[in-house]
Amino acid sequence: MNDRRMSRRTVLITLGALGAAAAGGLAAVPGTGWAQALAQYESVDDALKRLFGGKPMKDGATSVKLEVPFIAENGAVVPVSVSVDSPMTPTNYVKHIYVVADKNRMPVVTRVTLAPEAGRAFMGANIRLGESGDVRAIVEQSDGTLLVVKREVKVTVGGCGG
Amino acid sequence: MPDIGKVRLRIPSTIKPGDIVEVRALVIHPMERIERDAQGKIIQKNYNYINKVIVTYLGKTIATFDTTQNVAENPFFTFTFKATDPGQLKVQFLDTAGGRYEGTADIKFS
Repeated sequence: MNDRRMSRRTVLITLGALGAAAAGGLAAVPGTGWAQALAQYESVDDALKRLFGGKPMKDGATSVKLEVPFIAENGAVVPVSVSVDSPMTPTNYVKHIYVVADKNRMPVVTRVTLAPEAGRAFMGANIRLGESGDVRAIVEQSDGTLLVVKREVKVTVGGCGG
Repeated sequence: MPDIGKVRLRIPSTIKPGDIVEVRALVIHPMERIERDAQGKIIQKNYNYINKVIVTYLGKTIATFDTTQNVAENPFFTFTFKATDPGQLKVQFLDTAGGRYEGTADIKFS
């Protein structure tokens, strides 16, 4: 009896491992899957068109705060944080925050999806910058409005291999 | 790197009910960059980098980061959540090599 239970468990674990391996294999193929779809070799205009389909963007200077250093000595690690004035109620909240680095060969850096339970529309991350250029934060609210803020960052040593 | 996949979460030491809490999460990960050969052509291979970070609190997803290779080595993310009930905060990092690393923190009110 005991033996049988053990073998059943072993089978389940093996199946689980196989599933994980298959999922990993799919994501691993370059140029396919959503992981690469987010970041492609393209100009920043193409990237914005692809993500937002040419929807008009409002200047978000009054409600969106983008914090990046003016001068990044090391482009490999640049701290970025974005916070948005938003009530974060289920009817009015910030759905996505995008960080886009204009001069990177793959301009889209990250997309953050938030739920109203986050309490505050805020994100922070360390990113890479290839060369001096604008960094944009694009905020998509739950009603679909897009707000954009950008700041120029001077990079002393680039930090993007690709 | 032996420490790959190590997750560290930092939460404030005292949390009151209803507080909006800022959490800092760090994972040790190489976040491989695209490599090029002598001719400047991209070497096609499976680059190992984190492409998804999922934050759950009380079993509900509150934030998801879809990340690319433009995120620095040993990625460090900050986010907030509203502490409503004591419970578990879990942060999962998924990479393109099928790795899944997670860190948890118990949210308690003092």
